[in-house]
Amino acid sequence: MGLDRRAFVQLAVGGVVGTLFTPIPWKLADDAAIWSQNWPWIAKVTKGEIAFKNAISKFCPSGCAVSVRTVEGAPTLVQGSKDNPLSQGGVCPACAAGAQLLYSPARVKGPMKKTQAGFEPITWDEALTTLSAKLSAVKGKDGKVAMVSGDQTGTTSEVFSAFVAALGSQDFYLMPSEGQVAGKAWSIMGGTGKVGFDLKNADFVLLVGADAFESWGPMVRNKKTFGSKRPVGQPNQATYVYAGPVRNRTAAVCDQYVPVPADSLTAFALGLAAQLVQAGKSIDTADFADFKAMLGNFSADKVEKLSGVKAAVLADLAKKLASAKAPLVIAGSPFGQGEGAATFIAGAAVNLLLGQVNKPGGMKVFADFAPVVKGAATAKKLTEASFADYLSKVEKGKASPEVLLVYEANPAYGLPQAEAMSKVMEKIPFVVSFSTFLDETAQKAQLILPNPHPLERLDDLATPYGYSRAAYLVSLPVIKPVADAKPTPDLILGLAAKLGLDLGFSTYQDVLKAKTEAVGASWGDVSKGKLFASDVTKDVSGLNLATAVLAKAAIPNRDPAYPLALAPLAQLNVGTSALATAPQALVTIRDTELLGNDMFVQVCAETAKANGLSQGAKVKLTSSQGECVARVNVSETVMPGTVAAPLGFGRTAWDKFTRGKGDNLSKVLALSPEPGTNVSVWSDTRVKIAKI
Amino acid sequence: MEEKKTSSQSGGALPFILGLLAALAVGWWMFPKALFSESHQPIRFSHKVHAEQGMACDDCHKMRDDGSYAGLPNNEKCGECHSDVVGSDPAEKKFVEEYIQKSKEVPWIIYQNQPDNVYFTHSAHQAQECTECHPKMTDNDSPPVARINKITGYTERTLKMWQCERCHAENGVSNACYVCHK
Repeated sequence: MGLDRRAFVQLAVGGVVGTLFTPIPWKLADDAAIWSQNWPWIAKVTKGEIAFKNAISKFCPSGCAVSVRTVEGAPTLVQGSKDNPLSQGGVCPACAAGAQLLYSPARVKGPMKKTQAGFEPITWDEALTTLSAKLSAVKGKDGKVAMVSGDQTGTTSEVFSAFVAALGSQDFYLMPSEGQVAGKAWSIMGGTGKVGFDLKNADFVLLVGADAFESWGPMVRNKKTFGSKRPVGQPNQATYVYAGPVRNRTAAVCDQYVPVPADSLTAFALGLAAQLVQAGKSIDTADFADFKAMLGNFSADKVEKLSGVKAAVLADLAKKLASAKAPLVIAGSPFGQGEGAATFIAGAAVNLLLGQVNKPGGMKVFADFAPVVKGAATAKKLTEASFADYLSKVEKGKASPEVLLVYEANPAYGLPQAEAMSKVMEKIPFVVSFSTFLDETAQKAQLILPNPHPLERLDDLATPYGYSRAAYLVSLPVIKPVADAKPTPDLILGLAAKLGLDLGFSTYQDVLKAKTEAVGASWGDVSKGKLFASDVTKDVSGLNLATAVLAKAAIPNRDPAYPLALAPLAQLNVGTSALATAPQALVTIRDTELLGNDMFVQVCAETAKANGLSQGAKVKLTSSQGECVARVNVSETVMPGTVAAPLGFGRTAWDKFTRGKGDNLSKVLALSPEPGTNVSVWSDTRVKIAKI
Repeated sequence: MEEKKTSSQSGGALPFILGLLAALAVGWWMFPKALFSESHQPIRFSHKVHAEQGMACDDCHKMRDDGSYAGLPNNEKCGECHSDVVGSDPAEKKFVEEYIQKSKEVPWIIYQNQPDNVYFTHSAHQAQECTECHPKMTDNDSPPVARINKITGYTERTLKMWQCERCHAENGVSNACYVCHK
């Protein structure tokens, strides 16, 4: 029998019919469905023992006390530590991304040096030998080495400032912050110690500029306090009022919003002070008479002319403050930096008039923790040193460092006049970046020595600015470094020993143990996430009201060439200068903030009309120092005469998720000396806006 | 007259039957062999030997304090008895020398790994006997061969959804999606 066509067809049909009675089609279909659930790019869930470890995350300026969920030791979730008064179970958007950021494509994988072809991986031995040789060459030469740090709350500042001092330089700086200006202002008033604000016990809170739920102070605690004072379904236990140029996220949830231009916040606070003095309030200081006389320039009518705040609104607010049981005024920058000392002083003066200093719900003053590292800069000195001013000196040739060390800071991107500052940094022959991520500053460095991610390192947190108690917390590493990173403070202590410099410690753990002891805390407690906090306050007698400063600084100086006030928006979901937008936070950015690669500035309909702008129009913002481009979003959250714009976009480094999106607003921020104090100010930057 | 070809002239139903039988043979005999690869555990672990020492299942396969199932014991647990070689079995010697002494966890093959999109908790199934889902291992002197599906990557023993659903239905437990898929 041959296999003819008919037989073949019969055989094939038989085969097909037979196949239908086997598992082949059905099993293959089922398996293919399961196979499609496991594409190689789909993240796998780690299986294993689940544990929770307390830690400190420093992606936000104040630092978050977090509880890290680990599976088989690997962090999978960062949430607020419930038992810690600083977080109370809450976490900021930047720190919430901590577990994912461990594996960010922007992480520096290991030590690198810059060559003509770009960055080249090197060994730690080579990196440290190179750095040691550079530092050895400048050792003992005044002003040849400088260092800037982005760690506002850690004892790293003691190690670094002592190291720089031992090398023969006094040029150790912190990146600009709200706490730095507050410290300087408090010092001008003759105060000592640190200032905090007791939101928890206040029943009437007036936020003058201070964006308390986004960029001012311990914002997570502030939000938790706000929530606890306003229980759902029950009467509010505290009233919140926000005064500032934009109805920002803080203002949006307050009981009252008072539009005040950023350059008039001091005048506004002095207007309140004038009302309170008129009502018979006084302060027991030697210069009160002068202060009272100066307030004559800040009557309700005059403040209305300066700030646009109606006299009746000002009078009503003053009355509410005076009649509250525990009123509190917090004055600060609407975007966490760049405010002058005068705004803080004016706010403090109102608290003094209300008798709300070292009282429940008032302004609290407590002693700074003493440094433990030999030769470390004092807290007072750190508030007085401005890195922006230092770079201005470098630009003018008044300072000529040969080595700049940069720790967890991104000055090339985040300083005001960023473009100019970045160019000044290029004048410094040898820049070393101790950054976890490949940021804009690291890209400019000659050497990158990666510091471990916050969850990978030993760290501490001492009293974030704004917190009402002296507090201390230590964080042990949750995980071994994912990248080839080494803790910078330990590297510096090792370098010090190699260079024959005696800082008194050989490991950072020893430093923190000594600090814990000096603070009066228990290592066993603070290293397990239990916050040490002291309610001991400091005597505030002998203060002055810096009347001369206020008289000069409170009057806005508006250049008619730049008709609009700029109101930068610091939003933690967008990021900070030291942290580009975290991958999962990108989806939280609205289409009216960033669309494609275009960021948006916000103006109200009145301003849009006056400037011939319409929704979506492409514009250029120009200040005296720089420019940036954006599109227009017409929003009534912004007061007339003001243009609000987001910080945190316009990255040129980092990763593909953030690079090239929007423009860097810091380029536009213009430094100017505050009359009376010479503090560099950029919260009063003015701009012009033009369609392009 | 033109000759008309009939079925019988072409072999009748024989080609059809041959095709049918060939397909059945391939589908039921060759296909399963081709679909699964066979893997052996890195260490020949004897459950029988351990059971004979009086050990219970949950001496090693236990629930953690939070109610989650720890699965297989790690070196720390095994090392409680096997920090050094205690018997004469070459498998134990291999385990101690290659894993315990080198602080390296054994890459055990898991027979019943569930997909990530299923939330299976042993805690909720404690009322069932282990052997309702798992083979009885106490008499097992050599670990069974793991047959791994070459397409899905799961083993042959991984529970299918219909098995879960049937057991839930038989025990009056909800089969709503969210019960297993979070």
